[in-house]
Amino acid sequence: MNEDLLDHFLVEGRELTAQASQDLAALIRAPSDKALLDRAFRAVHTLKGSTGLFDLAPMGRVLHAAEDQLGAVRRDGLADVGLLSALIAVVDQVDAWLDDLERTGALPATAPGVSARLMAGLAGAQTLDGMLAPGEGDAVAIRYTPHANAYFSGDDPVAIIKAVPGLADLKVSPREPFGDLARYDPFTCNLVIEAISLESRAEVEAALRWVKDQVALSATVRPAPSLSEAAAAGEMDGGEIEGSIRTVRVEAARVDRLADLASELVIAKSGLSDLVDQIEQLPGGRAAAQALRAQQARMDRLVGDLHATVGKVRLTPLAPLFGRFPRLAREIARSLGKTMTFEIEGGEIEVDKAVVDGLFEPLLHALRNALDHGLEPVDLRRAAGKPDIGLVRLSARTVGDQVLIILRDDGAGIDPARIRTLAIKRGLIDAVAAEGLDERQAQELIFLPGFSTAAMVSDVSGRGVGMDAVRAAIARLGGRVEIDSTPGQGTSLRFLLPISMVLTKIMVVACGSERYGLVLDEVVETTRLSPDRIVPVRAGEAFQLREAVVPLVRLGRALGVGGDDQATGAQRVVVTRVGGELVGFAVDAIVEPMDAAVRPMGGLLAGARGMAGSTLLADGAVLMILDLQELVR
Amino acid sequence: MSLRLEGDVVLIEGHGRVEDAETLVGFAQGQNRVVLDLSACESLHGAVVQAILAFECVVVGQPTDAFLRDLLAPALARNVKVAL
Repeated sequence: MNEDLLDHFLVEGRELTAQASQDLAALIRAPSDKALLDRAFRAVHTLKGSTGLFDLAPMGRVLHAAEDQLGAVRRDGLADVGLLSALIAVVDQVDAWLDDLERTGALPATAPGVSARLMAGLAGAQTLDGMLAPGEGDAVAIRYTPHANAYFSGDDPVAIIKAVPGLADLKVSPREPFGDLARYDPFTCNLVIEAISLESRAEVEAALRWVKDQVALSATVRPAPSLSEAAAAGEMDGGEIEGSIRTVRVEAARVDRLADLASELVIAKSGLSDLVDQIEQLPGGRAAAQALRAQQARMDRLVGDLHATVGKVRLTPLAPLFGRFPRLAREIARSLGKTMTFEIEGGEIEVDKAVVDGLFEPLLHALRNALDHGLEPVDLRRAAGKPDIGLVRLSARTVGDQVLIILRDDGAGIDPARIRTLAIKRGLIDAVAAEGLDERQAQELIFLPGFSTAAMVSDVSGRGVGMDAVRAAIARLGGRVEIDSTPGQGTSLRFLLPISMVLTKIMVVACGSERYGLVLDEVVETTRLSPDRIVPVRAGEAFQLREAVVPLVRLGRALGVGGDDQATGAQRVVVTRVGGELVGFAVDAIVEPMDAAVRPMGGLLAGARGMAGSTLLADGAVLMILDLQELVR
Repeated sequence: MSLRLEGDVVLIEGHGRVEDAETLVGFAQGQNRVVLDLSACESLHGAVVQAILAFECVVVGQPTDAFLRDLLAPALARNVKVAL
């Protein structure tokens, strides 16, 4: 390779990747900016042209595919964020390859596979077949679906795929959903194995010849990888870049695993306290217990540190999430016949990936609401002396260890009187209670399930989900949402969320045979009540706590697990502050306080009512953390 | 028998064979989430892999076998959605 030419290519190449990356990222925020698109296209085109001077076929191929896609975007005037993200992943990878070139004078051995993967990401639903240059065969995608009776006939699909030479990536998934796990049949094969091999197609075919009726080669439809996956996939060889570069990109799954292990360590550690207590009780165990306690304190600190550090690894900027909204806002506004300006601020703030991932739906719903019910039609705006064009603003800033995301519109605001009337009409609250609410509390009524009904449903925001779904989604992420609205001037929804997964102080309580966690922040005090102090009030119960009358909720009954029912003798009560009000929860026992890494509810449990999250106990059991606010409604 | 329950962790030692799938399923149906230590594991039969997927077992440990360590274990870890 010509040294001078290569040096020049490296310098120019880095400028072009930087340019393209910047323009593509800006395009996500402003998809209609044709100048950005043209500049990104030219940068990619020039890069592709330059690769032809060197022996850089994998780089050339993926840039060619990127250029084609950008060309199509210019022609059709359509770009979606997924494609732009995939393009950014390509440009980032090319940039990383330039580092390899500078260091070793060649692309790494993994380049063909990485290139094929990025191209799959670009093509989205296209097949790998169509993208790999025919005859080159430097990456083969395999999709192997063993027969359901494979195990009975003595086949081991994993051993079969393991025998394929040059494996670069592997994915195992069920062929069909597993269904009811209580009736799981371990001997019926229900697997799909997908893999990428860097060997020739002939070699791969030879390895799989006995199961060739169950195998599809290079015809696999690979889903477009997410930005992080595509970037991670492309960067696995980026580890040993020398001193000058101080960041290493790591596959997201590995970070998740690390974080999980750190969480498990926290749990394992919390088992020590009991043991130390036991040792202390032993004859002559006092000194040993003290020494252990000192050591344990040190470990507490280290584990806490580890947990916090891993949490920081997971931080990712809000910009890609925020970047999805301007276009959506424009589309929604257009469908409503309204015009607005959409502003974004604070995209550089970094937040835990789980929080960023979980924010899209609730923010989108809140945005629909703001555009639909917030912004007034032009004639009303004029009458109110406002500019014709509405302003919606999505901003973020950090507040201590939390991030505050505000969605603000300059629309009509929420009229507390109207909300009161609607809530009464829908039977969510009675007239007396409604009168007792101040303006802010009345506005908060929009978060009640069942508040949004057909009367306010329109094409845009009427999808059977109300603001209660937004509130629940935010609670699952360990956050809360507040409303701040001035009639006539606009509404702000304030989302307060944790920046990183944090250790939460939990109080563990028992109801019958079940245990639950309460977030200690919400607990005011614990008390015992003799049965005569509990008085029935209308449908419920209450008790007097010093000067205040506090409603009493029997936790077991609220959760439908029984226990704690009108037991004789003193009743254990946890007094909590829920939405500014004191509420007592009757429980069977108060077990212990603990530090826990609370995970938002996922999967099937995501919709479980009254649950804010879960954590693992030292004995491996799952402890459900209660969402008290949801429970008292 | 290559499956062993140690505390609340399931260890797979040597080769995880087709019959071990049933044992693993037994463990998994009895508790909330199985943590599976593969440190001493040399290979896993498809039926065991499938059970790991089905019950979303958390896979830990660094096996010495390259296929297991570099391809299969990461693939299994990717499948378990552990929200933090």
